[in-house]
Amino acid sequence: MAGADRFSFLGREFLTWLWFEAERNGGRIGVGDQSYGIEFAQKLVLESAGTLREGSTVQAEAPSQAEEARTALRVGKKVARARLVLSLGERQFSFNLDAETMAISNAKLPTELGVRDAAGLDERVALLDQLEAAVDGLYVAFVRMRSQEATWGPVRDAMRAWVSTPADA
Amino acid sequence: MGLSSGSVSYLRFVAEPVPEAFEPRFCEALWNHRFQEIDPHGEIEKAHGWVRFDDAFEAEIDPESLVLESGQLLLRLRIDTLKIPAATLKAYVDKAAKDRAKKDGRDLPGKKEREALKLEVAKQLRVRSLPRMQLVEAAWNVHDGEVRLFSTSKGVAGLFVDHFEKTFERKLQFVGLLEVLPLRGMTQQEIDGLALIDAERFHLIAR
Repeated sequence: MAGADRFSFLGREFLTWLWFEAERNGGRIGVGDQSYGIEFAQKLVLESAGTLREGSTVQAEAPSQAEEARTALRVGKKVARARLVLSLGERQFSFNLDAETMAISNAKLPTELGVRDAAGLDERVALLDQLEAAVDGLYVAFVRMRSQEATWGPVRDAMRAWVSTPADA
Repeated sequence: MGLSSGSVSYLRFVAEPVPEAFEPRFCEALWNHRFQEIDPHGEIEKAHGWVRFDDAFEAEIDPESLVLESGQLLLRLRIDTLKIPAATLKAYVDKAAKDRAKKDGRDLPGKKEREALKLEVAKQLRVRSLPRMQLVEAAWNVHDGEVRLFSTSKGVAGLFVDHFEKTFERKLQFVGLLEVLPLRGMTQQEIDGLALIDAERFHLIAR
C-alpha cells in the first residue's frame, strides 16, 4: 500500500502502548468483549526513529520492568521488537512481534496434537488464526483510538507521564 | 520454523479469492511450476519450484492431500543452490595450478590460464557436490485469501511471491501495518483519517 513507510511509526507506537497498557492494568488488556493477558518476556528492542535508528536491546526475564528500558523511552526510543506472552483463556502463546512488519516469529503454540498429520496441521492453523485475531484486534483498537484526538489525547498525556517516571515508582 | 515444525515464523499475504472446484486446475498449475533438479553438468546455480508438502522429492501433487479441512491449501517451495563456496574453489584452483606447473615443469599459470583452470575446477567440483536444499512451507486459506509464508526472509519472500503469482495467475499482496486494517474491519474513511496523524513523542513532559 502506498505510503506504508509514512506510517511505520504506528507499529512502534502500538508496541509501546501495549507495554504501557499492560503495566497500568496489571498485565491485562481488554478489547471489546475479549480480555488478553500480556507479558513482555526475555527480550525488548527499542529504537529511535529516523535514519540513524539507534537501538537498545534489553534482555531480562521481565525486560519491560528494567530501568534500562524505561531510560530508552526517555531518550525518545520506542519498542521495535518484543517477545510477548499472550494469554487467551487457558491458552498461552509466546512469540516475537516486529513493529515494522507486524510479522510474528518464533511463536510457540499451545498445541495438543502432533504435527505429522492433517488434524495436527489444522490445529496449528487454528491456533495461528486465534493468535493473529488477538494481535490484530489489539492493533486495530490502538489505531482507532490513536486516530482520534479525543480518545488519543488523554492516553498520550498518561504515556508521557509514565515515560517520565522511573520503572520502580 | 515452518507450519509443521516446533516454533512458527511467518509473513502474511493476501490473494484473490479462489473459485469452487479449483483443485484439479491448481494441481496442474503446481505441476507446471514444479521443482526440477539442478543439472550438475550445467551452469545453473539456483533452482526453485513446488514439491509435495510431505515429500521434498516428489512434485506430483495429490488433490486429496492438497487442502486441509479448514480450507488451507498447503504449499511447499523447494529452493536448491549448487554453488561452490568461493574459499573452497580458490583452494582447489590453487592446488590445480600448482599440480599443473609441477607436471609441466614451468611457472604457475598466468591470469588468463588461471581463469580457464577455475572454470574447469568449478565444473569438476559441481559434479561432486550436493546442492543446499531449502524447504519453505506456505498455507493459503482459499476461503478468505490469506496466505502465510513460513519464512521471514525477504529473499525467500520475493522468490515465493514471484513463483506463486506465475503459478496461480493471482496477485499476492503483503499484509503489513496498513494492509491489515481493512481486513479487520476498518472502513476506508477511518483509514483515510490516519493521513492527519504524525509520529508521537512520548518523552516530552506532560503539560
